[in-house]
Amino acid sequence: MTGRIVALVVLSLALTALSVLVGPPLDGAQGDFILWQLRVPRMLVGALVGGTLGLVGASFQTLFANPLASESTVGTTAGATLGALAALALELPGGFPVLFLCSCVGAALASLSVTLVAGSGRASMGDVLLAGITVTVATGALSVGLQYLSDSRALVAAARWSLGQLPQVGYDGVLILAPLVIPCWLVLLALGRALQTFAFGEELAESRGVHVPGLRRLVLGAGSLAVAACVAWCGPIAFVGLIVPHIVRRSVGPAQRRVLPLSLAAGSAFLVLCDALARSLSPGRELPVGVVTAALGAPGLVLLLFRARRSVPA
Amino acid sequence: MTSLLLRDVSVLARDGPLLAHANLEVQRGELVALLGPNGAGKTTLLRAALGLVPLGGGEVRVSGTALEALSQRKRAAELAWLPQQSAPSEPLPAREAVVAARYRFHETAAKSRHEAERALERVGLARFADAPLTTLSGGERQRVAIAGLLAQEARFLLLDEPANHLDPAQQAETYALLGSLVAEGVGMLCVTHDVNLLGHVVRSPRVVGLADGTLRFDLDYRADALPERLSELFGVRMLPLSVGAGRVIVPAPRGLEGEAR
Repeated sequence: MTGRIVALVVLSLALTALSVLVGPPLDGAQGDFILWQLRVPRMLVGALVGGTLGLVGASFQTLFANPLASESTVGTTAGATLGALAALALELPGGFPVLFLCSCVGAALASLSVTLVAGSGRASMGDVLLAGITVTVATGALSVGLQYLSDSRALVAAARWSLGQLPQVGYDGVLILAPLVIPCWLVLLALGRALQTFAFGEELAESRGVHVPGLRRLVLGAGSLAVAACVAWCGPIAFVGLIVPHIVRRSVGPAQRRVLPLSLAAGSAFLVLCDALARSLSPGRELPVGVVTAALGAPGLVLLLFRARRSVPA
Repeated sequence: MTSLLLRDVSVLARDGPLLAHANLEVQRGELVALLGPNGAGKTTLLRAALGLVPLGGGEVRVSGTALEALSQRKRAAELAWLPQQSAPSEPLPAREAVVAARYRFHETAAKSRHEAERALERVGLARFADAPLTTLSGGERQRVAIAGLLAQEARFLLLDEPANHLDPAQQAETYALLGSLVAEGVGMLCVTHDVNLLGHVVRSPRVVGLADGTLRFDLDYRADALPERLSELFGVRMLPLSVGAGRVIVPAPRGLEGEAR
């Protein structure tokens, strides 16, 4: 078991690091520039975003006791997307900081409404999930409305952003994202022990000393903030939070003290690799990374579910 | 000061009370068996005692303090719960399942694991520590759950049909274990359908009858009136039978209801 964990961590780190070598060969001063100013910072942003999505997905799945829960099912992604789309469609001035702020506000509002349901007395996790889905549908409708109202130039910008893409140049993304998402990681990792008690239902967790409404608020709060930051920077990126924790659980079992840190590591590697593919698959014209994660994630998930169905004894 | 006390506790549902004006006290070192027909409110009473359902009236006190005044962790130091068994959702190793019951302790992971292994040893499952729950039999899973109860080290245990899913030998073993816990000073409130299993493990358990959300009687296990009251409670003739120096109470088979004792 320890061997598998070590192997998975080493594999994740190696793949993350090696991804910078994917693509055309790097020669001379230009190669140095491409490596250090383009690929390395982009790899770091990918690792931050992918790690966030993997870790938040794993935490949400445990919190909701639902294998399909992830930051996209509880409204966080949809809220962040709506906020950012509003900024793009209304052509708010101010560039990224404003986009980022709008996205955070959107994610916060969506998550807040879900968190309020979650924190209110004895809402079941099913209720919370339903609230998340409702918020997702509602914000989706608002997003479409916004796009309908905006002019064609803004529409193109919004459409591009909503495909999900790791931005190109420099260390700005690393410097902006790291201080936002890493504290959230630490909070979520520290909650692993409390989340583990959820394996046998919330009431048993409560009887074992877990303050359930408080735990819900913390997990949803930290998860939402981290996801909002990532969505603002890269657009919504599908499937990472859904499929990475499933792969991790399948390799090392469901114990939270393994699943949470390994989902973080594997999420980083998955997104960085997808991004390496996205920028090198068609030379001279890169695919949005969201397309690659979805293209790999969707069949991967179906395969996992199919195998899970078959391995369940009748 | 060393008791679990339910004072005039009611639990309300939309169409009437699930539990009405229940008064019950369990001392440390005492076993109280809670019997009643299905749907009588036995599980509701346990959940009310644990603070898991809002009370429609009355109060719960543990060791002299109102339950509401205790933090979740402090409650877990007083009360541990064995719910009715449900199928495990994921292949969690038995050790991890027991470790989760030690949440209330601020301790290292190594210490948690050590205590979990001790608890598994006590229920005779030491060699299954690494086994995923999904590969264990119903009886083994129930013993893992009981190991969790031990690992939580609470003063009072609230058990919901702990012998469910167990074969007769395992039932006897489980109750012997519960009996030794009571002898060590744990207070126990135990929902069961089989009153006989209790009498052999603790010197004088109390038997409490619950029907339609109302407590009907509270008797010593050896009271002469017990078979009669159980008959009323379940609506089935319950017969006392002498076995050696003791007595068991069994439902009369159909067709034999009219036979003399």
